[in-house]
Amino acid sequence: MNPTKPHRRRLSGVAVLATLALAVAACGSDADTATESSDAPADDVETTQEPADDAGVTEEAGDTEASGECESGPITVGIIPKLGDDPYMTTVRDGMQKAADELGQGDEIIYTSPSEATGAAQIPFVQQLISSEVDVIAIAGSDLDSARAELAEARERGIDVIAFDSDVATDSRTLFINQAEASELGTKMLDSMNELLDGEGQFAILSSTQTAVNQNAWIANMEERLAADEFPGLELVDVVYGEEKADLSATRAVELVTQYPDLGGIIIPAGISLPAAATALSDSGDLGDVKLTGLAPASLISDFIKTGDVQDIWWNVTDLGYLTMYAAKAVSQCGVDGSAGTMFDGGELGEFEVGDDGEVILGPAQIVTPENVDEFAF
Amino acid sequence: MSSDTPTVTPPTATLPADAETPAREVPRIGFVERATSWDWLLGAFAILVIIVAVFTTDNFTNSFNLESSLTRMAAKALMVLPLAMLIIAREIDISVASIGGLSGISFGMSVEAGAPFPLAIVVALLTGAACGSLNGVLVTKLKLPSLIVTLGTLAMFRGLCYVLVGGSPVSGMPEPLTDFVNGSVPGTFIPYAIVPFLLLLPIAGMILHRTVFGRRVYAIGGNPDTARYSGVRTESVLFRLFVASGLAAAIAGIIQTGITSSASPDGLFGFELDVVTVCFLGGISFLGGRGRLTGVAWALVVVIVLRSILQLRNVAAFGQAAVVGVVLIVSLLLVNVAAKVGAARATKRTVAERSFDNTRPHDIGPDVASTATPTHNQRSTS
Repeated sequence: MNPTKPHRRRLSGVAVLATLALAVAACGSDADTATESSDAPADDVETTQEPADDAGVTEEAGDTEASGECESGPITVGIIPKLGDDPYMTTVRDGMQKAADELGQGDEIIYTSPSEATGAAQIPFVQQLISSEVDVIAIAGSDLDSARAELAEARERGIDVIAFDSDVATDSRTLFINQAEASELGTKMLDSMNELLDGEGQFAILSSTQTAVNQNAWIANMEERLAADEFPGLELVDVVYGEEKADLSATRAVELVTQYPDLGGIIIPAGISLPAAATALSDSGDLGDVKLTGLAPASLISDFIKTGDVQDIWWNVTDLGYLTMYAAKAVSQCGVDGSAGTMFDGGELGEFEVGDDGEVILGPAQIVTPENVDEFAF
Repeated sequence: MSSDTPTVTPPTATLPADAETPAREVPRIGFVERATSWDWLLGAFAILVIIVAVFTTDNFTNSFNLESSLTRMAAKALMVLPLAMLIIAREIDISVASIGGLSGISFGMSVEAGAPFPLAIVVALLTGAACGSLNGVLVTKLKLPSLIVTLGTLAMFRGLCYVLVGGSPVSGMPEPLTDFVNGSVPGTFIPYAIVPFLLLLPIAGMILHRTVFGRRVYAIGGNPDTARYSGVRTESVLFRLFVASGLAAAIAGIIQTGITSSASPDGLFGFELDVVTVCFLGGISFLGGRGRLTGVAWALVVVIVLRSILQLRNVAAFGQAAVVGVVLIVSLLLVNVAAKVGAARATKRTVAERSFDNTRPHDIGPDVASTATPTHNQRSTS
């Protein structure tokens, strides 16, 4: 009886492993038979795997061609936003749905929801969409690299990948639908300030952080244009930082107004700071004497924009989704392979041309004014 | 080791009248008790969950889904093994995910600095061992409670990740690594990423259930004072467990670095939830001294399949975390109830038999009580 006990225990351990193996084997054969017996998906797998095998070492180099067969019917597009509950991203989704409805082919849109804005958090969702055998993955990259391996896997399996809002590595996707050219945003902000001040007066800049790459590039560009006497009446008196914090930005805005009695306006190229500063200056009664412009979701400051005291440089986020859907359709139908110079249909937005590195620009960012503020859903 | 193989066979193993077990030759554990033991219930539940998944969730049996579901759990599974032992010994290490993150960062920085791949692995392992040693020293030498210590180091190691690289991930991980962890064993859907765990599982099982060290772990968990008076060097055992936890986390960190093709300061962030859940769901008692790796393996299957179902059903990441949280709480409750039922049953039997059998619940693990009361260990039943 002594030996029975360890024996039994070993048995239960073996049972775990055996059941695992069985389950694993059963599932495996299920998958195989499923692939063999079912019609369309099986073909997908066959056609995409063979070229990959043949290509061998060179398969990565020729990855723009790795995408699957050309779709003609309805497609399924999986969206992977940075954060599932981000209203910016749900507005993009609504834009895509709008385009899908307009296209009228019964295209399906699957919106996924990572809970952290990290590339790693996006990986399970890429895998989910691969398992669900979608036709196109549209991803807003939380970082360039993290999902690289899985996106490559998706493309090997015939799923087209496009990026929107923020790019992933160039070799991970066919197209990148960019809302606006970064350089253009800085130009537009100074133009907007010039318009608000009628070309005459002092202004300051309330930026995000001292190390923010985009913001610093815009500020440098503004300083260059001022130095070149493009706006002889305008004077930049100070640059301060709101550190991406609403309360600090509000304080900085009020401080600027106190410090410079003749201040006519503030440029605020930071999405958190502009609404905070507008609210603070409105409360203190300074808004109006001091005009604001910058970069923020138009919907957050639409009340201030309507008074004419605040302008905004923004793009139509619904349109970003709308164009992304048309791009997904074009790529899945083999109309676009990412090479520069190709044209594709953007529905009511017109024709779009693919630029270098597969980049597509939604269009010039707009200056949001009382006249057009209602066009911006976000 | 054969001389002191734990045996708890009651000297007078007459069956109680109401036992459903047929009168086999002095069965030590009745069929009902075995069938209602946590390991077996969990095993049955795991198979049930798999069946449910196969029949209700589209694409579950898709071999890519099976592969990626396993890959997603690869790093977590590794960290489960030493943590289970720590919990059996009445300690806990909730800093594992941060240790994994920091090890991944040290790996990435080594690669970036031009270190060859094997050297970078050594650096990462040393980082993990150092983090584990720090936890170990704080708990065993300074006698601080491990829950609080590792909560502190959880924040500290994670903070260090950001101090070292700032907010941006280190990219350009060695191709042998990324190819390996993102590949699968040819002809199967077993990803290479889970292979280190599959190799370490039987080794950990041997150590915990077949060696003197393993029995000391149970003895400490059963009653630390008794263990100490019986000559177990508890501090040494615990310290080694914390270092093992750090090392496992380091391997997990390297694997995760390969999966994400970059060493990110938020690598493995939040992984401790699943790791701790698997341990408790697996029947490891938070009171120490109880639980087996068999149960932990089943628990791992349950969590992998559950997460896979949720993912395929397009449940948001927050929703998935909520479900895992519920599983954690429910498993604590159920294990607790099971232990009480088992204890009641054992007490009843003891009274009925008037034997010297200890009143341990048979349903959790045969090793447990025998080592918890080491004086009974040497009893010969031959």
